[in-house]
Amino acid sequence: MHISTNPWVWIAAILTLAIYSFLYKDNPFYKFAEHLFMGLGIGYGAVLLWYNSIIPRLWNPLAHGTSPTRFFLLIPIALGLLSLGIFSRRYSWLIKYPLAFYMGAVTGLSVPVAFEANIFEQAQGTILKHSMFSNPWLGISNIIMFIGVITTITYFYFSKQHRGLLGKSARVGIVYIMLAFGASFGYTVMARISLLIGRMQFLLHDWLGIIK
Amino acid sequence: MIMFILLSTITVKAFDTPNDGGKSITIKAYNVPETVKKALVYRKTEGDTTYTLAGVMSILSYRFMDADSTIKNGKPYYYRVDFYFPDTVISVEADSPGIAYAQWYDKTKTSSLIFLIVFSTFVLVFIQLAKKDPEGLYIRKIPALDAIDEAVGRSTELGKPTFFVHGLLGITDAGTLAALTILRRVAKKVAEYDTPILVTNYDPIVMTASQETVKQAYTEAGRPDAYNEKNIIYLTYEQFGYTAGVDGLMVREKPGAIFLQGYFFAESLILAETGHSVGAIQIAGTTAKEQLPFFVAACDYVLIGEEMLAASSYIGREPVMLGSVKGSDWGKVFLLAIIGIGVAIGTIGSILQSAGNGALMNVFEKILAFF
Amino acid sequence: MGFWDRFLKIDRRWVFLIVWIAVVIPLLKPLGLPTHITPPVKKLYDYIDKMEGEDKAVFLSFDFDPSTMPELLPMGVAVIRHCFAKKIPIIVYGGLYPQGVGMAKMAIDMAKTDFPDIKYGRDYVFLGYVPGLYLVILSIGESIQGTFGNDYFGNRLDTLPLTMSIDNYEKIGIVVDLSGGDIPTWWVAFAYQRYGCRIGCGTTAVSAAQYYPYLQTGQFVGMLGGLKGAAEYEELLVRNGIPTGRRTATIGMDAQSVVHLLIILLIILGNIGYFYVRRRERRA
Repeated sequence: MHISTNPWVWIAAILTLAIYSFLYKDNPFYKFAEHLFMGLGIGYGAVLLWYNSIIPRLWNPLAHGTSPTRFFLLIPIALGLLSLGIFSRRYSWLIKYPLAFYMGAVTGLSVPVAFEANIFEQAQGTILKHSMFSNPWLGISNIIMFIGVITTITYFYFSKQHRGLLGKSARVGIVYIMLAFGASFGYTVMARISLLIGRMQFLLHDWLGIIK
Repeated sequence: MIMFILLSTITVKAFDTPNDGGKSITIKAYNVPETVKKALVYRKTEGDTTYTLAGVMSILSYRFMDADSTIKNGKPYYYRVDFYFPDTVISVEADSPGIAYAQWYDKTKTSSLIFLIVFSTFVLVFIQLAKKDPEGLYIRKIPALDAIDEAVGRSTELGKPTFFVHGLLGITDAGTLAALTILRRVAKKVAEYDTPILVTNYDPIVMTASQETVKQAYTEAGRPDAYNEKNIIYLTYEQFGYTAGVDGLMVREKPGAIFLQGYFFAESLILAETGHSVGAIQIAGTTAKEQLPFFVAACDYVLIGEEMLAASSYIGREPVMLGSVKGSDWGKVFLLAIIGIGVAIGTIGSILQSAGNGALMNVFEKILAFF
Repeated sequence: MGFWDRFLKIDRRWVFLIVWIAVVIPLLKPLGLPTHITPPVKKLYDYIDKMEGEDKAVFLSFDFDPSTMPELLPMGVAVIRHCFAKKIPIIVYGGLYPQGVGMAKMAIDMAKTDFPDIKYGRDYVFLGYVPGLYLVILSIGESIQGTFGNDYFGNRLDTLPLTMSIDNYEKIGIVVDLSGGDIPTWWVAFAYQRYGCRIGCGTTAVSAAQYYPYLQTGQFVGMLGGLKGAAEYEELLVRNGIPTGRRTATIGMDAQSVVHLLIILLIILGNIGYFYVRRRERRA
């Protein structure tokens, strides 16, 4: 056993145990750790915003820069300041300008790539090609995938009641959806256990030095 | 003699890389014997006496794209490629300099443009139709909507508050907007039943919108006096800080009904489990596909992905949301048609190709390449 | 009250305790269970391995925070070790969110202990946080120097040998993104679709299921899914004689396997109990 002498390891270990104490029942230690975490989150975010964004990207170029184009920075600063209008009933309409710019820019950047990455490539991958049947198991797998794509899409068709052929297809679709959820849930169980294992490794190795 | 033959067959061309924003030149080699081991590309500008190494040309495609940060538009660059053969090295200069330009239109994105126009047309047409006659556009009823009344009723019978937990994205997310429409329906019900409601928010702007929504709902229910702004609270902008805060509230207040609506991340199961542990009836709705399994397992009713948007359209009949749902339905039909036609052409083409006629298969390959 | 009634009403805290015991015992007494390599991990490993001797770099992005550290940090350490061992230039990026910088620094410090001849600036460069999210991904396609200016330590990028010659996606062989959310899809959308840069993904198990379509279409070269993916990569390093230091992911997999068996057992018992009680109530 080789207990750590690093005070930060001790603080992390004590806070870990305080949060885990919630599993037994709510208690002041958990509440303290919860509030500390919430406060730290806000404080850390504010400091990061100040030292990683505002100072190097806005203040330093404007105050200490020499490039004449640095004054273009005043435009995004002005747009950002307009969004503070949300806190005033009289001037809350000002937020529409930065919001419109932001949504326009985001849409312009993301819609074409979303089409390519999420629709075209995936649709191409769904279309059954000769090469997909290079071996029988691969062929069966691809047919199952193809049926799943079609029936799942029909489940999310809202313009008609799910009756007749559409209803049957939607019912097959929901089976596929639930199978996918089951796989995803199983993966998540693994993820959650991994986090617990990570914390236990920290406590047993870094803090108490019991394991190698 | 062999060197002379090699020199006379190999050609190198330098040209502007097509469909880009400029500052890039493509160098292509032709008639390169397969015995080549390596090909190095050298560059110089006008006035330079020596070439500098630009990079290594692929000996699979005989193509090299020079996108060095020093390349400027409109300036000629001269290239030389050194081909390394087992016994010799051949240097071939490009027959003309390459000049980089920016193109206004990227032809490779034509398929995206067509789809954008088609999908946008569907959505815009249906929005216009929804504005003229919102009741005329049919949306099937989502089963989970009936559960809203049941959940709030149960909360009232037990004398416990109703919780509405917003997701982690802001007001620009479609799921958050749908959640606000559902909140309006929930808030109207709690106002009618005189049940306390607590709305937790991750985003301050969503909190402001929630306050307006709940106030409006109370007014519509004829109970403006019962509205309490303090019931719509902002916790923190930190993911697990928010989760810890909501969990603490659930355990302390023990609500009868919990609505988890919006976009959630890893905290979804933590919230749903805690809600289940306090015995509340839970109705979840999220567009976060990776969180849906946990809501399905831990909640009583779930609005899966787009069902949430359809449910809010069904409740609110708001033209933009309604038109978007209908437009996306037609988009799905269009996509299914493309996939179906693609499969048909590919299958028939494959059969014909094995019978000796590859024309339809070529068409299929061209269609795939277009996308 | 019969056994199944008591079993179905068991206080969840007993389940927590049993799971905790199932995690701790394999950590205290390792079982040494074998690690089998799956195709998505092998593909990523082989792709990076083939970059040995090329003049292209690996770009490793740490887009995660301490909450997903147990799964993703071992992946980062393993990839960095792989690059160090094969002398593949690597640019370690602190990520699109500020929390990743601490994770990246930790990974570099853990990885470099076994490689004393690795030189900063020549073999690897550490880039800090720059705001802009996917705009940063796009900007890297134009110029890394223009996007970052300096490295994490304040050195100008145009003075470091590695970043003098590698300045955009043309000279990046693969971007490996370590993330617990949707960020790998951003790299696919902006770096792969627009600039043709190949993408590899290291993700938490929660997100792994949704990325198989991207693997199938080839948008991802390969994928490390969760702690198992990290353990498989560590195993590949060991099989190829690359030092791995303390194999945190592999050590954790024993506990992972035991807990999975426990959960399967509890699910089976829970379902048996549920149907037994329901059948008894129907009969009554």
